[in-house]
Amino acid sequence: MTAKKQKQIKIVIAGPYAAGKTQFINTVSEIQTVQTEAKTTRTGEKEKKDHTTVAMDFGRITIDDEHVLYLFGTPGQERFEFMWDILGKGMVGLVVLVDSTDPSTFHEARKIINYFESRYPAPFVVACNKQDLKGAWDPKDIRTALDLDEDIKVLPLVALDKESVKNVLLVLLEEIAKHL
Amino acid sequence: MAITGNLETFNFIDIFQILKRDKKDGILVVESPDKKFAVYFKNGDMLYIREVAKVFYIYLDLDFKHVLKKEGIDKDDLHQFLIARLPILLAVKKGTFSFTPGFIKYPPDIEPSIPIEKIMMYLSRQLTQEEVDRKISDMKLVFEKSDNWEEIARRAHLNSVEKKVLSLIDGNRTVEDILNETNMNRLNLQRILYGFLATGLIRRKKQKKRKIGFALTKNLLNKIMAKIKGL
Repeated sequence: MTAKKQKQIKIVIAGPYAAGKTQFINTVSEIQTVQTEAKTTRTGEKEKKDHTTVAMDFGRITIDDEHVLYLFGTPGQERFEFMWDILGKGMVGLVVLVDSTDPSTFHEARKIINYFESRYPAPFVVACNKQDLKGAWDPKDIRTALDLDEDIKVLPLVALDKESVKNVLLVLLEEIAKHL
Repeated sequence: MAITGNLETFNFIDIFQILKRDKKDGILVVESPDKKFAVYFKNGDMLYIREVAKVFYIYLDLDFKHVLKKEGIDKDDLHQFLIARLPILLAVKKGTFSFTPGFIKYPPDIEPSIPIEKIMMYLSRQLTQEEVDRKISDMKLVFEKSDNWEEIARRAHLNSVEKKVLSLIDGNRTVEDILNETNMNRLNLQRILYGFLATGLIRRKKQKKRKIGFALTKNLLNKIMAKIKGL
């Protein structure tokens, strides 16, 4: 007897370099996140972390016998932008993560939003990670910095905390529900 | 919570956009390698610029009347001092900034004399390619005018080219369409759109219909939500 093929539902986790995408997925995935990493080489990136996602990494949450939810993390560096196209196709929703303590990365987050909104306008939310750290910007100010309207949900996040990650995913799913 | 950062990656227009949007009162401290400024904001508009030798001096005064007294200026001369010091402040490109909300008490009879939108549009005309690419990163972007665009346009003191570009923003044309119709230099168009976005004149077009790349049913969505709640 052959196993029934499960249907894959895709949520994309995008965001600037070192925003916490891999951590976000790891916190809720039922499998050890499958990572495709390379050594960080660029100045300014090396200081933040040793390795970075270069293709994508993904986590999995089994919904039932027929369906599985995949969380795909995009590479955070601009030079891997081609991956956004591959991941954007067929997604049901998008989470854009920002590092709340580093406003220099807000521009990259805005660029990601602009890209997906122009090509794959799926429901999306913005999650402001590292809210537990000193110097974190208020999500309200991050909303303005990213040129987002009031109808886009901008949420506080601590990617290490399961309840916080769950909250972001549930709000995204509520947004998706509005369009069914 | 913090509004802090580095001027090289977060410029004055970006900062003013945040202060203006929520009509913030408070003090913006700008520290460059050789100068330190306290910029006083009332309702998101700039009221006064003060150069200080040490940052902690700024926090000795809780009432703006005391600031004026220490500086030896009359409230009627505020505009004149602001005009004189504005170019010095705006010329600072390297350094850090931090905004302290509230803190200072303003007398009710002192009002800002220059709309911040006018300063923002002035600054947008000098942005570099790298800066404009941060906001206008995609030629496929579509913008629409915001609800109170006429009021903002009045405060922004637009020039004729900017007025022309504004007239073409209709929620249908892409940035590329506007570029082709106006035959303008791409950088100049990006500068104008950057200024428009920052002042709140325009916004990214709201998506009425969003695309979901899977045949999701409400039942399946409820299952996913239940699964996530139970993690």
